[in-house]
Amino acid sequence: MIIQKISRILSNFDNILPVFAAACAAMSLFVLITLPLPYSEDQLYPKQIVPGSSLNPYDRGGPPFTQAVIHSQYPENSPTAGYVTAYLTPLSLFLSEHTSYMGTTIVAHPGGILDEILYNTRGLDTVVEPTILFVAFAIAAYLFRKREA
Amino acid sequence: MNEIGGAPLFFLEFGDIVIYFTPFTLALFLLALVFSVFVLVSRPERQLEIAFGGDAYYAKEISLSELRFRRFMSIACGLACMGAMVTGDVFDFTLFVSLVGICNVGIVAAVRSRHVQNAAYQYGLVALAGTVPMFAAAGMVAATTGTLSMLELAKGTATVPVAARALLVLGVMGEGMAPFYAAKAEMFRAPGAPYVIMCSLSSLLIFLRVTEVILLI
Repeated sequence: MIIQKISRILSNFDNILPVFAAACAAMSLFVLITLPLPYSEDQLYPKQIVPGSSLNPYDRGGPPFTQAVIHSQYPENSPTAGYVTAYLTPLSLFLSEHTSYMGTTIVAHPGGILDEILYNTRGLDTVVEPTILFVAFAIAAYLFRKREA
Repeated sequence: MNEIGGAPLFFLEFGDIVIYFTPFTLALFLLALVFSVFVLVSRPERQLEIAFGGDAYYAKEISLSELRFRRFMSIACGLACMGAMVTGDVFDFTLFVSLVGICNVGIVAAVRSRHVQNAAYQYGLVALAGTVPMFAAAGMVAATTGTLSMLELAKGTATVPVAARALLVLGVMGEGMAPFYAAKAEMFRAPGAPYVIMCSLSSLLIFLRVTEVILLI
């Protein structure tokens, strides 16, 4: 009887979103009850805030082309990690030498600090993320162009 | 090591993201691969609707551009499935699963049917909302254990909190629509058989895989 009732509610796809929202709300309550969770101090890719560095908070240390120490999961799989963490283009170098408030700008513009964790040790993530974006763009572009056809 | 899917047969390293094939994940991978090849080579069905009370039927035509787009989306969905089946990293798994969710919407996005579009819209909203608990789960795993690699987590040295597992399952439920098959069933009314079946197969596969992940970590 109750299964019949539930399946009747779920068979209407307009009810799916409210049901899922209710499930999310219940789950949030459950997660709140289980707090606090322990924090593991032994984290991968640690980064410390260096006071006074103009590259804050993205300074991974190391002069260019010498290997900085990066704590990765499988160091043997990425032997070249840490070589280019401090590489700056002339413009970024100029910015970093003359102001200490442009850390995010230096990271965000092309030729700034390479976040090597993204490109070296976690490269597959970096590939999948733009793929999601491109697929979403492909759908949007198709739907937009469909009107012309 | 906790070997829920059998002993790993071989590893494929992408830096810290290690893809591994156990008999279980290999079987799922091959299933996704075979179906992707089917989608690639097959031609779509043509739906016929019989008119009652007469000797007539309507044939629904699918235009070439629509066919191409849906085939592209199905193959993208197959590739995302294959990735989700074999990846050995929790964050990478969530990324592949959200790609599966978007591709599922894309497969039916081209259909010219108001009913199917409404169902796809509802499904898209749930898939969008499902990413939040899923990525929250990945973040909680990283914060509480300090690693994201399933092979490390399978050793059992660090315990993943129950909340993170529950959030992961809820997120995959949102992407794959497991108990909410109503919206998917409405989406299946879209003409073009091999492509819409990809929606169903992908959610089945990511569910089998998330079961393994939950038992493993």
